[in-house]
Formats: sequence, C-alpha cells, structure tokens
Amino acid sequence: MRFKDQIDFVRQHVKRNRLRVFMTILATAMGCAFLIVLASIAFGLQTSMKKELLSDNAITEIEIYSEDKLDKQKIKAIPNVNALVERAEIMAEGTAKFTLDERSSTPYTQFVDFEQLAKTNEKLAQGTLPKHDNEIVVGYQFAQTLLTKAQQQALDNDDEQTKKEGYSGKLLGKKLTFTYTVDKKNVLTKEMTIVGITKKPSREWDIDERVMMPLSMLATLKTNYEHVTDNKQQDFSYATFRVYASDLEAVKEILATLKAMDLSVYSVTEQLEEINILFTALKAGLIFIGTIAILIASIGIFNTMTMAVTERTREIGVMKAIGTNPKLIQKLFVMESAYIGILGTIIAIVVSYVISIAVNWLIPIALEMATGDKAYREVDLIFSAIPFELVLIASAISISVAIISGWRPARKATNIDVIDALRQ
Amino acid sequence: MITLQHVSHTFRIGKKDNEQLIDVLKDVSLQIDAAEIVSIVGKSGSGKSTLLNTIAGFLKPVSGSIHIQNTDLTTLNERSLAAFRLQHLGFIFQNFQLMPSLTTYENIELPLKIAGVEPRKRQQLIQQLLKRLDIAHVKDHYPNELSGGQQQRVSIGRALVGNPPIILADEPTGSLDSETEREILTLIQQLNAELGITFVIITHDDEVARIANRIYTMHDGDLKEATNDAL
Ligand SMILES: Nc1ncnc2c1ncn2[C@@H]1O[C@H](COP(=O)(O)OP(=O)(O)O)[C@@H](O)[C@H]1O
Ligand SMILES: [Mg+2]
Repeated sequence: MRFKDQIDFVRQHVKRNRLRVFMTILATAMGCAFLIVLASIAFGLQTSMKKELLSDNAITEIEIYSEDKLDKQKIKAIPNVNALVERAEIMAEGTAKFTLDERSSTPYTQFVDFEQLAKTNEKLAQGTLPKHDNEIVVGYQFAQTLLTKAQQQALDNDDEQTKKEGYSGKLLGKKLTFTYTVDKKNVLTKEMTIVGITKKPSREWDIDERVMMPLSMLATLKTNYEHVTDNKQQDFSYATFRVYASDLEAVKEILATLKAMDLSVYSVTEQLEEINILFTALKAGLIFIGTIAILIASIGIFNTMTMAVTERTREIGVMKAIGTNPKLIQKLFVMESAYIGILGTIIAIVVSYVISIAVNWLIPIALEMATGDKAYREVDLIFSAIPFELVLIASAISISVAIISGWRPARKATNIDVIDALRQ
Repeated sequence: MITLQHVSHTFRIGKKDNEQLIDVLKDVSLQIDAAEIVSIVGKSGSGKSTLLNTIAGFLKPVSGSIHIQNTDLTTLNERSLAAFRLQHLGFIFQNFQLMPSLTTYENIELPLKIAGVEPRKRQQLIQQLLKRLDIAHVKDHYPNELSGGQQQRVSIGRALVGNPPIILADEPTGSLDSETEREILTLIQQLNAELGITFVIITHDDEVARIANRIYTMHDGDLKEATNDAL
C-alpha cells in the first residue's frame, strides 16, 4: 500500500469516530501540555539564574586563592590568559585615612596591579585607571564615606539629629591626602589624585566604597611600617590573584591548567556548572511527573484503539481475506494511535507557549500586587521558558507513549480470524 | 489449477474435558482446471464453506494438501498467504462483505490500494469495471444505498479488479431474489467466457449449481463428482 493511501485510510477512520478520537486527542494534549508547562518552569528559572550570575560577574574571571607558591610568569604564559591581576590588602594593624579639606574617610583600601587590570575589560563609570604612583580609583559610593568631624562623631554616637551626608561635589581629579598611621605614629603621608570612579554595582544592595591604590605603594608602606614599628612584618599584606581569560571557551582549559599547578581556583563557570547539574535534575524530575500525566492519557488511547479494533473486526476480516498483509494492518492501527499522539502534541505545544507567555506576564504583576514592590516587573524575570529542546523531549515522550499504547490493540487486529470475522 | 489431495478437517467443539470431534471434511480430493466453472452443492452444514475456506487459505486442514497453480498453500505462512490471495484469488460472499464507509468506487478500489497500484492506473481499471458491471451510475453510493443485486455487483467488481485467475464464491446468490440471482449467475457465466476466470461456486441450490461445467456434491464431509444424470 502506498504511504499516501495509508494516511488517507487512517484519516478516513479517524473521521468516522470524530468525537471519540477528539476526546482522546484532548486528553493527550492535556497530558503533554502539563509536561511542557511544568518543565518550562525549570528551564525558565535556570535562564533567569544564569542571566543573574553572568550579569555582574565577569565570566572570564578566575580567582586564585593560594598566594605563596604563585609563579606569575608561568600563569601569564598559559594560552588565552589575558591578565593576572593582583589585589592586596594590608593585614597588619594600622589605619589608612583619606582627607579632603575638612572631610575624611577610612575606607577599605585595596592595592591593585593596575598595569595588569588595564589588560582586562574592566570598565569605570568615570575616568581612567591610574598610571602613576600617586593616582587612585575610588568606588562608586566612596563619596558617601567622606564625612566631617562632627558627622563622624554623630555616626559613632548613633546620633539621629545631625545629618551624616557625604561629599556631594565632583570627585574626579580631586587631590586627597592619604595618611597611614599605626599607634598614632605616622607611616606615610602622600597626596593622591582621583583619576577614576568605579561603575555602580549592578545589585541594588551592593555598595562600593573602597579605594584602589597602585600596588607599588604597598612595598613603600611595608618598608616604612617596619621602620616605624621596628619590627619585621611576616604577614603584612594578603594578596588575591585573578586570571582573566580571553573568552568564555578558554576558561575551562585555563582552570584545568591552574588546578594542575596545585592552585585552588574558583570561577563562576564552575558555579554555573553546579547550577546546571541542579537544574538538570529538576528538569528530569518535572519531566518525569509530566510523563505520568501523559501515561494517564495513554489509557485513553489504549481504550480508543481497542474499541476501534473491536468495532472494525468484520472489516479487518475482509481486509485480510482479500489479501492484506497482517503487518500492514498492524501498521495502519499504530499509525492511527500515532496520529492521535501527534495531533495531541501539536495542540499541547501551541497551548503551552500561550500559557508560558501568560505566566511570564502575569506572575510579576501578581507579585507586585501582593508585595507592592515594583522591582519584580523591572527585573524582567523569566518564570517559564520553552526551548526547542523541551518541545523535542515532550513530543518524543508523548508520541512514543501514544504509539506504545496503540501497539497491543493493533496486534489484536492482526490476530483476528478471518472466518470468525466474516461470520459477524 | 486447483488440486486438493486427501484433505481432511476436524473441528473440536465444546469444553476441553468434554470435547466433541466433528469430521467436517473426510478425505476430500478434487481437481479444477483453468477457465472452468465448478460448483459444489450440498445441504447446509455439509462442510461446503469449510472446504472453500481451506482453498482460500483461511483455514489449515488437519491433513492433506492444497495446490493452487503449483503452490502448496499448506506450507505458506500468514504473510505469504495474504500475498498469494491478493494475486491469485478473488472472493464473492453471500452477504457481500462490503466496507460500509466506502463508496462503490472505493470498495472496488480497495484491493488495488492494498496492492499499491498507482492512482491513475486504478482509475482506469475501475472505470472499465463500473461500466462492465453496470454500476457506474451508483459509483458514489454507499453500500446501504444499494440494492442487494447492486451490492453483489460491487463485490464482484472488488473480486475482479485485481485480475485474479480464480474467484471463489460462497453462496453468491444466497441473499438475492430469484430474478436478481439469474442476473448475477449470467454475469458470472459471461465473465468466465470473456476473461477465462475460474469460478468455484458453493451453493445449496441445485438450480444455481447447474450453471457450472462440472458439479461436485458434498454430503457430510464427503465430496463426490456428480454425474450428469444424477442431477
Ligand atoms: N469454527 C468451527 N468450529 C466448530 N464447528 C464448526 C466451525 N465451522 C463450522 N463448523 C461445523 O462444521 C460443519 C460444516 O459447516 P460449514 O462448512 O459451514 O457447512 P456449509 O457451508 O455446508 O453449510 C457444521 O456442522 C458446522 O457446525
Ligand atoms: Mg456455508
């Protein structure tokens, strides 16, 4: 039998029992849509989470924890390493203070290898990275920490009356006086110029108040410190290193190389991998639950097909009598249940997309109404996503389940005895 | 063309522990040549249909051999039997056995579709037959819209369309009035003369049997060729 004739044959039979077949298709569609929508939540949340992770962490950044045995040249020589940036902070006792006119601040102070940092795509809100020893970059919210004596006092005393506003003028190009003291003894005093201001942290609750000084300043400070305290300093400072890969694809290999060098490293991509594993498990779980819905629908398909075979016993007998291959009869019935599965799946896909769009649109509105927080709508969260991959998985499951449920009734059809059937 | 040698068949009826054996065919041998009309006549329950079912391959006899055009049917599996029937045999049934959801045209088309004949060729063959069988005017009618005689013509069309050398007919006029019966029998004789098709006709009616070139009689599973003066 030609394939087109087979399709016609199936269509003709489906038409004869329109209502029954339609209800079966509906049940299949509901099961399949349930699976897709359920799993789409895992896909959607994963997408949101990835976006969140990648938006404020440089994906090409690799952090190295171990300081001592670091062979900087060897690391820089690894292929696709753009830069190795050292950031240090002073561990020894002491106070770093920055003064601007009558205001002063004692912020968190970092010593940064700006020469290397310049090779990464680090972006500033204003200005440039320092090129000289007397230049610094300050955090986006550093100005808030520049307070007058009175304001400082009020802050320390938890005084509600006095306003504790920071510096509101323009900071870029301003000269600050940097003083470092230990036990009231002066270690270093130096005029520093602000040449850059960092970007606003992407997270609402993050505050960047630090001051970034050139790394070369650290050595001077240490020498002076040892002189003033008359004491050798073993753990004067603590350094962290970050490797910057040329692109995301290179990160994995660089990570492996660094690990082979016995370094403890961290990259957000590893976290991504963990999240991926977690979400793969979640997806599998949800798809499994969805499959149960499809299995329930498959009982309907089994029923419909069994009835179809029983009803058509005489006709199947005639078909066999005039010389139809039993295999063809089986195929025609399997095709009929596949037809139910395919149509149900198509309907399910369309419906699922509609539901998914509605969910992404309605949930933020619902959350806003419940909490009164506008943020939900602004963040553009994805709650449900239906990638092509999910469509493929769901179709494969529901169509195979449909075919499997039609299999036994189809076999029953081929086993019909011609003489018995013709006697009906 | 058709040769049966020592074909016997026994039905087992009743419960397993209280089985009854019925010998429906008792050592039946028979020989039918090409382009013959042969009828098998006998009382109801004498085993005629069972005999035809073995010739058609619907039933494997307990013993004996059935050769049709040098093929031993008893050695074929279901699939080969189906293919053999499609090629070599046409069927006419007492109650027509048409597909109720198919029109006259589509019912006749069915064996061609099963055989995978291409649509244009199908149309040609069917148009020809519709005219020959005088049912062209009802080609879009469904079986329940046709008279008994018309239905049997459609069923003959379905049997003929694949151009088989042999047509097996089990009580082909059993459901028809005597006038229509006459028409159908005449048609069978004409088709035999025109196309050289071998007909095996089963009937309980001596009148019907008389259109045959040769007549066998069936009596309680015993088959005998009738001599002319016996009828
Ligand atoms: N499938 C069957 N099982 C048991 N007995 C059967 C079966 N088919 C036919 N018979 C019996 O075999 C005998 C012959 O039947 P059949 O060949 O139909 O006779 P006919 O066609 O001559 O009327 C009858 O007694 C009938 O009851
Ligand atoms: Mg009979």
